[in-house]
Amino acid sequence: MKSANTVVLEKKSLDDAVAIAKKGTHCGMCRIDFLGTGLCPSGKKHGYLAYWPQGRMELVKHLKEGKIKPTEKLVDIANSCTLCGICDKQCNFATQLRPEKVAKALKEYVNSLDKSEFQKVPEDDIVKGLREIVGNEWATNDPIIIASYVRSIIPTNVELNFYVVMPDTTEQVSKIIKFANKHNIPFLPRGGGTALSIATPTVLSNAITLEHGIVIDLLRLKKLEIHPENSTAVVGAGITAFEVQKAAYKHKLRVNVAEAGAHYCSNIATTGIVTTWGNKYGCFADNFIDLTIVDNDGNIKNHRDMDIPNPYATENVFSNISLSPSYIITEVTAKLFPVFDDEEAVLVPFDNLEDALDMVLKLGKRGVGLSVAVLSYKYLAEFICPTPKIAEDFEDICKNYMKLRYVVDVICDKDDKKIVEGMAEYTIDQNFMRTLILGSPKLASLKDSEFMKILSEEEDPLRAIFAGPMRKHFEKGLDASPEQMSKVYDTDLQDFFKKVYSKPEMTDVVWLHAFRILPSRLMRQQMTMGPGGAVWAGDKKHILKWVNMFAEVGDKYNLEHALGFISPLDNGKFIYIEYDYFYNHNDPDVANRISKALLETTEKSLVLGQIFTLINYLFKGIHRKEHVLYPLREGLTKEEQTMFREVLHSVLGEFEEW
Amino acid sequence: MVKFLSEEWIEKGRTYMLEKLDPEKDMKNITTSVQGIIEHVPPNDTTMNFYIELKDGRLNEFKVNTGDIFEGKEAIYEIRGNYGTYKDILEGKIGTAMALLKNRLKLKGSKMEALKIIKQLDSLIESLRKITDEFEE
Repeated sequence: MKSANTVVLEKKSLDDAVAIAKKGTHCGMCRIDFLGTGLCPSGKKHGYLAYWPQGRMELVKHLKEGKIKPTEKLVDIANSCTLCGICDKQCNFATQLRPEKVAKALKEYVNSLDKSEFQKVPEDDIVKGLREIVGNEWATNDPIIIASYVRSIIPTNVELNFYVVMPDTTEQVSKIIKFANKHNIPFLPRGGGTALSIATPTVLSNAITLEHGIVIDLLRLKKLEIHPENSTAVVGAGITAFEVQKAAYKHKLRVNVAEAGAHYCSNIATTGIVTTWGNKYGCFADNFIDLTIVDNDGNIKNHRDMDIPNPYATENVFSNISLSPSYIITEVTAKLFPVFDDEEAVLVPFDNLEDALDMVLKLGKRGVGLSVAVLSYKYLAEFICPTPKIAEDFEDICKNYMKLRYVVDVICDKDDKKIVEGMAEYTIDQNFMRTLILGSPKLASLKDSEFMKILSEEEDPLRAIFAGPMRKHFEKGLDASPEQMSKVYDTDLQDFFKKVYSKPEMTDVVWLHAFRILPSRLMRQQMTMGPGGAVWAGDKKHILKWVNMFAEVGDKYNLEHALGFISPLDNGKFIYIEYDYFYNHNDPDVANRISKALLETTEKSLVLGQIFTLINYLFKGIHRKEHVLYPLREGLTKEEQTMFREVLHSVLGEFEEW
Repeated sequence: MVKFLSEEWIEKGRTYMLEKLDPEKDMKNITTSVQGIIEHVPPNDTTMNFYIELKDGRLNEFKVNTGDIFEGKEAIYEIRGNYGTYKDILEGKIGTAMALLKNRLKLKGSKMEALKIIKQLDSLIESLRKITDEFEE
């Protein structure tokens, strides 16, 4: 019999499980109830990542590779899964994966183990001290639990010399930090972990992950109060964007949130809130009335305190090199905005970026719309298509046949809709979007069809589809229905997805924009790295030059790339751009090229000037747009560019320059 | 065995920097001063600091003191971090720039000016790394 200590796993089911697990990206969608299925019972009860589907997927990779030895905890984790199938439904919607197969394989593997050979995990003084703060259940040094945090806060190339602690109050966070400092142990908070998982395969990994120490998992900070009487919400650091939005919507109110699985507070501590709703609702610190933070010395502070230094200001120069938050936000009081009865989506298709940009700049300056953005064909395809293959074909059709390369995507009331329609020759309305969403499998199947060839030969294919006589036939031909959509899923899930797509909100573009459940599809079985930032809106040539720079660097490193979105900020004075590179996170070669692209585009953005780049705000904390955007910095001088390279060398050692 | 922040550490550090660091080649003839503040020093959870002054690239002063101010000295740069961070740096587990990046060290003084001499600061830390091999536990 094989020793448990050598942990060589030979079961085919586990091999299959590892194959599934490797495609996982820690998108976090298995930790929110976005399909009305309820939450994973095991994860909900035990909290630690290892008990959630995404954590189990991480775990089996480590077991397979022999990087960790089984402990008693592994039995508990495997047995805690009831095989209820919720994870398959959630994950299939977002990523097309089947995590329940991983859970089953883990159960089989655990049953085959000789439990007498399990590794013992003694309670050391550190875990004992942490347990005194949070209770026995919520602090651990068990390597099985720790392994589940690899790739989303722990880098892949270190020994698992860590602790995980799950506080449920700000006071506990404070005590943990004081305890960590006293024992000279580094610590880092974890929210949804998505940003960390995107960066982990790249050059950013060492800078933003924890190489040893205490992972402070903020999931249990679950305070959530909606105060309709003053349009505010009090949100704890364990609350996701989806959860706060759901609570706000019950009162016909809306909060400006990041992607559905992102923790609301944790996200703002690291990247700030910049969304397509930013022109109307505000950006960076605009949405926050008060924050409760714990600083790196363990002091609890509130932004409303009169005697603290200005928390909203930062240096917006590249020399502000810190890439880790200098505090942990445990609670925030956020602004809520009214949801209007006459809100609608209207999209304007374009075959070129310059015209789309023109329209967004005009809408931004005039303050038209609640959410305003230019989206590329890639975003559109990934968002609305249920599978990667359908998205790929849909993308091809948009780009090469329909010439639908960009859309100006506006959520607005009826009055603003008229303005948008007045500015465009033709538009895509909510009904047509519903057709495109539910008809996306059929549309994708038309790739290389005679119809598409004829369409592509039209002088203006967009007009032919959206304003010409073909529109009716096109809508009818797509056979858009929940039933048709459900057929793209595995047989055992088809009934479920027929019901899902029958729900009005699943094809309601306004709801989808507000709840942001679709961006996770950008991370289905691959990673997306989206550099960008804010730029002055007054110089269109400068904006286009910046976008083209990202495209050229993408081509140079042979990366799949496309514009993500462009949105106006601050009454159209600025625009925010995200440009996306897509990559296989299991391929070190492509991760290396992504790293080079990231460094090169950062330097080139800084040299171009008048740009507030990712490096200026990534993990910097909450800052007012007035402090960081006014004025935007001039481009780097030659001397500063040399310094920038020297900093990179100090951090990275030798690296191949561009 | 040379213990971090001990008398012997100062002596060895001073000798090493004077003998091994070329004022022109390694230190670019810079004139600057750095105060490293070390918090949570075991076993009594105290604060200590060291002060390094360079004149024309040559070591002028290297001293250690308790507390977080050095009487009569005002360094151009203050680098503050806990004992564990300094230990990780001196054991080569993490670089100074990386510690700044990770917010483990906090820099007071002009960041832009500090980045101009980051190579020379790295050389100073490297010198201390070479002579330090014992820490409080």
